Amino acid sequence: MPARCEFLAAAFVAALAILSDTAHARMSWAIDPARTHIRFAVDATGWPRTVGEFRRFEGRISVDFERPEASRVSFKVEAASVDVGSSSFSDYLKSIAFLNADKYPTIDFVSTSVEKLSDHTVRVSGDLTLLGVTKPLVVDVDVLRDGAAPSRLDFSAHTHVDRLEFGMNSGFPIISREVDLDIASGAREQ
Amino acid sequence: MSKGGVAPARWSAPTIVLHWLSAIVIFALVALGFLMTRFFDSATRFDLYQLHKSFGVLALALLAARLLFRFAGAAPAPLGPPWERAAAAIVHGALYALTLLAILLGWLAASSAPLPVPTIVFGLFAWPSLMGADPATFAFASLAHRLTGYGLAMLAGLHAAAALKHALVDREGVFSRMAFGRGPGAPRR
Repeated sequence: MPARCEFLAAAFVAALAILSDTAHARMSWAIDPARTHIRFAVDATGWPRTVGEFRRFEGRISVDFERPEASRVSFKVEAASVDVGSSSFSDYLKSIAFLNADKYPTIDFVSTSVEKLSDHTVRVSGDLTLLGVTKPLVVDVDVLRDGAAPSRLDFSAHTHVDRLEFGMNSGFPIISREVDLDIASGAREQ
Repeated sequence: MSKGGVAPARWSAPTIVLHWLSAIVIFALVALGFLMTRFFDSATRFDLYQLHKSFGVLALALLAARLLFRFAGAAPAPLGPPWERAAAAIVHGALYALTLLAILLGWLAASSAPLPVPTIVFGLFAWPSLMGADPATFAFASLAHRLTGYGLAMLAGLHAAAALKHALVDREGVFSRMAFGRGPGAPRR
């Protein structure tokens, strides 16, 4: 039987903090949904890797280029927007067995600190809330800024979450406890 | 043998329809079962499992209807020498029994799976589970389900080969008894 799981995550994006040569101090950025993908993947025994995506989310990024640590990121992902390429499979993932989307409609990530690692990388620490359980999550985010389009920022991040920590136990150990998250996002200066 | 003393020339229309519907559904079940456990990506597999389970429920309904008509109505006289009649009776009985067994074992396997996924029959309604997740039951039921499925496929092949033998070698017009349309029905000797 299938497996999958998911959830998500959202998380992260972040902060850019980089680019301190910018004149602005704190800037707000709006997530561009068309350039944002929150994907996940889960392995299972005797079943192919399940990959999916959350289609609906909101994200806010506030960047302080002079004080990267003052930057903030938050994401709110709609659990019922999970899409694994089959509507019946997606419906199953929304059920109480996994995302329990009726009871927990959103999966939230809120940053608690942002640390600049290099000119192109920031480490975003925050809280991930899934199934009503909040756990810390640290994500290293690659930040890409095209000099020709300074009002645009692109991010990408990979991380994984232990779903058991959030009480998502269905199918374990046939279905892996680790859920890979792959988040790519684009933001535009507001 | 007919209960009324005179054996009809051919099977009743409902029996014929149910027979061929069952043949199609059982063939689809075996083919789906073989393919879905070996190929396809995760999402497609999920859909195929649901389809397989839906067809299983349909096969159960067809089997119940077939048994009803088979034993309520009259049957054409069996053909061939006594040993063939005995073999036919055994194979026919085994086809019914294995079909039922394969369906029940599949139902048990789906019910006891480590990750019980609800069976939504053709996306319309939920089919009940026999029990909760149980690894030992699942291991037994899924193996037994596979074996009975293969056994059923082989038996159906034997059944088809025997029908072909009566039709092509013995030239007994056996197909007209189980075919659609208004065939002559009676053996054409």
